[in-house]
Amino acid sequence: MSSVLVVEDDDRIRLSLVLALEDEGYACEGVPTAEHALQRQRDAPADTVLVDLTLPGMDGYDLIRELRRSGDVPIVVVSARDDTHDIVAALEAGADDYLVKPVAVKELAARLRALRRRGRGPAPGAPAQLRVGPLELRPLAGEVLLDGRPVALTRTEFRLLCELAEQLGQVLSRQQLLSRVWEYDFGDERLVDVHVGRLRRKIERDPGDPQHLVTVRGLGYKLQR
Amino acid sequence: MRRPGLGTRITALFALGALGLSAALAGATYQLTRSRLLAERERTAVRAAYSDAAAVQAGLAVPEPSLVDVLRSLDTGVTRQPVIRWDGKWYARTADEGLTGAIPASLRRTAEGGTPGVQRTRSDTGPVLVVGVPLRTAGATYYELNDLSELERTLDSLALTLGLVAVATAGAGAGLGWWASRRVLAPLASVTQAATSISAGNLSTRLDPAKEPDLASLTSAFNKMVDELSARMDRDRRFSADVSHELRSPLQTLSTAAAVLERRRHTLDPRSGAALGLLTGEVERFQQLVTDLLELARGDRPAELAPADLAVLVRQVCEERGVPADCPASLVADVDGRRLRQVLVNLLDNAERHAGGAVAVRLGQSPGCIHVEVDDAGAGVPVDERALIFDRFGRGRASGVRGSGEGTGLGLALVAQHVAAHGGRVVVGDRPGGGARFRVELPA
Repeated sequence: MSSVLVVEDDDRIRLSLVLALEDEGYACEGVPTAEHALQRQRDAPADTVLVDLTLPGMDGYDLIRELRRSGDVPIVVVSARDDTHDIVAALEAGADDYLVKPVAVKELAARLRALRRRGRGPAPGAPAQLRVGPLELRPLAGEVLLDGRPVALTRTEFRLLCELAEQLGQVLSRQQLLSRVWEYDFGDERLVDVHVGRLRRKIERDPGDPQHLVTVRGLGYKLQR
Repeated sequence: MRRPGLGTRITALFALGALGLSAALAGATYQLTRSRLLAERERTAVRAAYSDAAAVQAGLAVPEPSLVDVLRSLDTGVTRQPVIRWDGKWYARTADEGLTGAIPASLRRTAEGGTPGVQRTRSDTGPVLVVGVPLRTAGATYYELNDLSELERTLDSLALTLGLVAVATAGAGAGLGWWASRRVLAPLASVTQAATSISAGNLSTRLDPAKEPDLASLTSAFNKMVDELSARMDRDRRFSADVSHELRSPLQTLSTAAAVLERRRHTLDPRSGAALGLLTGEVERFQQLVTDLLELARGDRPAELAPADLAVLVRQVCEERGVPADCPASLVADVDGRRLRQVLVNLLDNAERHAGGAVAVRLGQSPGCIHVEVDDAGAGVPVDERALIFDRFGRGRASGVRGSGEGTGLGLALVAQHVAAHGGRVVVGDRPGGGARFRVELPA
């Protein structure tokens, strides 16, 4: 059974989310602070973490950064904040997805399922190995090498890179990427933009002047040799 | 007619001022010089005429005087023409009718009456100064005609020079005015630039008080205004964020708890089940209301424009809703995709709620304008309600009694606001064949 850690300072929201996610078949636990959450992840790491941004003490952004430092556990933000500024900051910190309260249980469950599928490896028929400039992708092994050295990617970054690599040289629109990577019918394009930025910082020699993961204005993104 | 700009007016004023001043100076200079030169010339002419008259008098004093010899003996140069009238006859060096004709009758009366006189007149050859001196010999008068052509040429060239100087001065005045207006308006340009930047959302923009000391009070008032404005906007934003947070949090608990109950509906007795149905429905509606209200509350934010393919957007939404879409293959424009999507979704919701669903959606482009039309086959919107339905909670009569499928009453207000944020407009009209046609027009 997959486990979810709910980090939420509002007791009522936390309790209701735990009840609802248990109904959806997750082993669920709730904690009220970031400090509790970090402790809990050290002792018995959950498969997925739901994070509220407004927390007493260490805030949600720092919690996300701290969790990212120690691994690629999927992180979903569930916050009442819907400013571009907050959304981009949380995604920059390393969150995989961002949901604005109030989020329906059905939607939350769908996002968690999509996140689990994202970690399940490549689609059948994917090439075993792919070279893009100084980059070497090994989808089957779940590895990416830059100049021969392994690069640590989150599962969302890895999946995004694989989708672009499968269509090497072709443009994928933001909505196409949202549908293929996040499984959204219609999603927030900022998710794609921030993840592309994060990916560039890891795989481009000069992220400010990307040579391989390029923006095609008005259309989307493409990966090129 | 449009009033000319401040710069143009300052330039024109400087040019006119310079022209007026230099014209007055030139006029005065010309008049003074002319009268002084003429007076000088007159004095010289009178003096010469008297001395010549004395010589003529001496010549006439002898018995049997020869007037031809007398006239020849006068040293008059080329500019003076001596003429003698004696015994009703004219005597001159040349037999020129024009010469005697040029002597004005009034001068002749004065001189022949025994009083010397001077008069300026015009002969066949040009301007002349005529001096008349009565002689002591009875019936004799001496006249001398002084040629003024050269003096006139001098005065003409003086007038030309002064005129040119006046025109040049006016031109210089215009140039100075242009420069001065540029200098004066330059600080205003920086104020304009700052105001434009602020209205574009850069609230950190301030004027530099050190840069334009002349505008110190304007600068400080301007900066103070912007400070207060941004403080107020900050307060509003914080309030809005607080309200948002305080409304969204309990709604999260409500909707999540309702979902937990809904899962167990089959274990409830029918009365509890019915009550739960009401609760869940209202929670959903309330959730939509809060989302729409918060969206409306910050609707004055500028649209986040980015190039997007509207054809893809329209096709996708229509596919989800099962409505036929008539789109070009591709139509890329700078739009706020999220907000335009909500426009289309809300129009389709509206058609579903009040007219049994949309029957057609069309996306098209004409020069300077992109349009989206949503048609339904319902009862249409009465003319007097066509503006009203875009107001907040402005439901039309046709929407009837509040039923179970009632919306928030904010859907069309949001449509209007999103479209306005793009600089476009939304109108409702009749669909040929019955029903309403909502038309969204965006600047291309």
